[in-house]
Amino acid sequence: MSRPTSGPVASDPSWGNRSDLDVLNRDIPRVDGPVKATGEAVYTHDVRLPDMLWARVLVHPVPRAEIESIDVEAASEMPGVVHIEALKEPGDAVRYLGDDAVLAVVAAETPDQAADALGAIVVKARRLAPVVTPEQALKEGAPVVSRRRKADSNVGRANERGDEAVADAALAGAVAVVERTFVVPIQHHVCLETHGHVVQPAPDNEQVTVYASTQSVGGTPRGLARTLGRDASKIRVLTPHMGGGFGSKFGPGLEGALAARVANVTGRPVHLMLTRADEFAIAGNRSGSRQKLKVGADSDGRLVGLKLEADKLGGVSGGSLPGPPYIYTVTDGAAVFSKIRSVHTATDGSRAMRAPGHPQASFAMEAAVDELGYLLGMDLVDIRIRNLESAVHHRQLRRVAEEIGWADHPNRDRPGAAVNGRAVGIGFGVSVWGPGGRSSRCDVTVRPDGSVVSATATQDLGTGARTYVAAIVAEELGLTVDMVEARIGDSDLPPSVTSGGSVTTGSSAPAIKDAAHKAREGLEALLTDVLEAPVGSYVWKDGRVSVRGDASRSLPWIAVCALLREPLLAQGEFRDFLHEGRIHGAQAAKVEVDTLTGRVKVLKMVTCQDQGLPLNRLALRSQINGGMVQALSYGLLEQRVFDEQDGFLLSDNLDLYKIAGSQEIPEMVALIDDEDERPSVCGMAEAPVIPGHSAIAGAIHNACGARLTRMPFTADNVLETLYGKI
Amino acid sequence: MREMDPSSGEPSAISRRSFLKGATQVAAAGGIIGGAPASEQGTAVEPEVETLSGSSSMELLVNGKSRSVEVQPRTTLLHALRNQMKPPLTGTKEVCGTGSCGACTVLIDGQPAYSCLTLAVTCAGRPVTTVEGFGSADAMSDVQQSFCDKDGMMCGFCTPGFVVATHAALDRAPKATLDELKYELSGNFCRCGTYPHVFDAAQAVQKDRARGEDGR
Ligand code: FES
Ligand code: FES
Repeated sequence: MSRPTSGPVASDPSWGNRSDLDVLNRDIPRVDGPVKATGEAVYTHDVRLPDMLWARVLVHPVPRAEIESIDVEAASEMPGVVHIEALKEPGDAVRYLGDDAVLAVVAAETPDQAADALGAIVVKARRLAPVVTPEQALKEGAPVVSRRRKADSNVGRANERGDEAVADAALAGAVAVVERTFVVPIQHHVCLETHGHVVQPAPDNEQVTVYASTQSVGGTPRGLARTLGRDASKIRVLTPHMGGGFGSKFGPGLEGALAARVANVTGRPVHLMLTRADEFAIAGNRSGSRQKLKVGADSDGRLVGLKLEADKLGGVSGGSLPGPPYIYTVTDGAAVFSKIRSVHTATDGSRAMRAPGHPQASFAMEAAVDELGYLLGMDLVDIRIRNLESAVHHRQLRRVAEEIGWADHPNRDRPGAAVNGRAVGIGFGVSVWGPGGRSSRCDVTVRPDGSVVSATATQDLGTGARTYVAAIVAEELGLTVDMVEARIGDSDLPPSVTSGGSVTTGSSAPAIKDAAHKAREGLEALLTDVLEAPVGSYVWKDGRVSVRGDASRSLPWIAVCALLREPLLAQGEFRDFLHEGRIHGAQAAKVEVDTLTGRVKVLKMVTCQDQGLPLNRLALRSQINGGMVQALSYGLLEQRVFDEQDGFLLSDNLDLYKIAGSQEIPEMVALIDDEDERPSVCGMAEAPVIPGHSAIAGAIHNACGARLTRMPFTADNVLETLYGKI
Repeated sequence: MREMDPSSGEPSAISRRSFLKGATQVAAAGGIIGGAPASEQGTAVEPEVETLSGSSSMELLVNGKSRSVEVQPRTTLLHALRNQMKPPLTGTKEVCGTGSCGACTVLIDGQPAYSCLTLAVTCAGRPVTTVEGFGSADAMSDVQQSFCDKDGMMCGFCTPGFVVATHAALDRAPKATLDELKYELSGNFCRCGTYPHVFDAAQAVQKDRARGEDGR
């Protein structure tokens, strides 16, 4: 249909001067807003195909057991049941509450029939000691639940860095020393759309179609190739919309493999979405940690020594925690010692979750900095600035301090105390992230009728990716966003990256820009005869092209496209110089603590965040707010609860696993750091989730002197910290 | 489905009987389905008469149109909308199924309700409005438009529930303060954290509507 543009390229693409931008760096309403706001957007959950079967999985309710029998006979005879399969044999073990606890899969004509059949499966199993807490895992003689080969305990190999004696000596010479043990719980992603797929089988010579709620349309075909017994190119994955991932939806997982298998066996489309309870049990989490941190400072407040001993709590997985010192600098790098190990429990393995490991490290490090500040009588902003290398952090901290009213706050260098049971405090935290970018492609097609399509196999997790896939092209060609159709969420499109670690924007936006620029130059090549100016000397603006410096030589967009005899296809790829590698942020939180009831109310949160050139300021503020909301939720509310005796996951629902709702939301201010003038783009979703809970903990301490060392900051936690165990 | 737990072993005498009677009882059930639930009439439920089972066909009045659906006594309005109606209405989302999140919010008789906690049979003759009933992508309601303008959504999975809840909140309390709006919307969760922009969207609608009333 089309010919790739060829011939000499007149210039490299560039994001241009900010003052010249008509589309980007502004508030762009998301292009899929209307379908989302009206319920027309079809998520994997909503896919309904003719003849579709409804599948469900049976998850064993406790983490460890020996299977005696799984009897599916009665269930298989129930109305509507088309496929039923036990996944374990008598004598098999259930080793942990995660994908290993999936005992059976059922597919039936209706969702109710599938649920009924699931309930009619008779499982006989001998329950074994649960091993759901680190204490149970570390107990003398505890059953080994680690998946490491030849493991003889539940402790992974310790990763030691630095020289302990050097760190000890530095700490001995410090003027102020803080030593605390911080406990960070495991957090669930709680994607509102659970994990799952709809698999539509096809004859061997055709493509199987898979609808997937995934962060990786590009990677999912490979993940299903073996199960489907066909080459990845014969699998087409579609993710038109997806209801949240946050790091938990990279591969098809067991649920995807089972959907594919049942579709293969039955030859019918299969809809398999996890239930909410399944999701809590087997769909991953953010690892917890126990961090014993000791930090010392000199009389100027400079950090001079640090020691960290930490356990990462990632269930059967390793968990994550970056090495210390987190973001802050210790004057002599040799005086930093750390020993980090994993402690395994028989619970679902941790997965990536928005800035894996970072919020955990932030919680301990920011607390230590606060306390050193108080010991030395230093202003909390000053001690941070003294120990942060980046001038970007300095200006951002000053900005959030101003916005939150720090200068007028009475307790800037010492904690306050309650008056009539009420105390107000302010706290701070910083973030960094280095998303970078990598290989990605995009096709831009301009048709003779003036229509434009921008296509790349990325996915929109709610970030607004679909919107910039159109907006970048609109900017380059002088069009409005609605004149460009964005096509994403389809593995058959030009390949792009898996959306994890904020790499999407830094990878795909340069490729989109490159394609748009090539399209523009392809059109300019046609104009050389018509408007008589060489490629590179045109201005594309307001739906017209004109010769730079001579507005009288000009054509409307439609007339330019009419010069095309066939569609023009421009193929763009990742261009390193169009992307940015490193971002920074600072946050402040203001809280009110009721010291009689222990209740914490967050009054205000502020973030200042850089990201190179902001593509869409509206979506950016949404992301920044989202980071603050999730951090607030993590800090104040979220708590996974196991019944330690028998191993039941008690918090497998949204009543007991509480996430932030509208009444917890304070005034939130999302500041885009416009002093960042880098002419390149960067993803930033991870950064704003990193320090919010740390800033809240700091604010609680600042308000009333209670340094909470474990999350969440529930009323009982506050009271116990203030008054001791009751 | 939590209403029925087949894992409890042998069906009890009552449920077996109702199962056997299911097919014939359905026709007679029409009248019962059509009436208001006994609890609302203030009369005691009489088990022999009220027991329903099997599937029956009923009419649901959804977004102004009468739609025929096959339901069982246990079928929730949410499942009737999403799974039973042909074509299904999938704008209303299922997130928890247990009345905790608000993703399934619809209006029943003009009042917001969790459709996952509402049995379809109790909705006969009562107008139901889902997110699709407020507008379409080319003709959005003021609330839907405002959600787009203010970016009151990210992944969008909670958005239909929030749109319906916001419509209901602004109808019930047109002049709600920010704190009152937070209270009105407290039955809905958003994991992406769009709350600040959802509040912006609701307040922008309040302003627009007030301007309209002033005739300005
Ligand atoms: S699905 Fe109904 S309240 Fe969550
Ligand atoms: S927008 Fe994703 S859950 Fe609300």
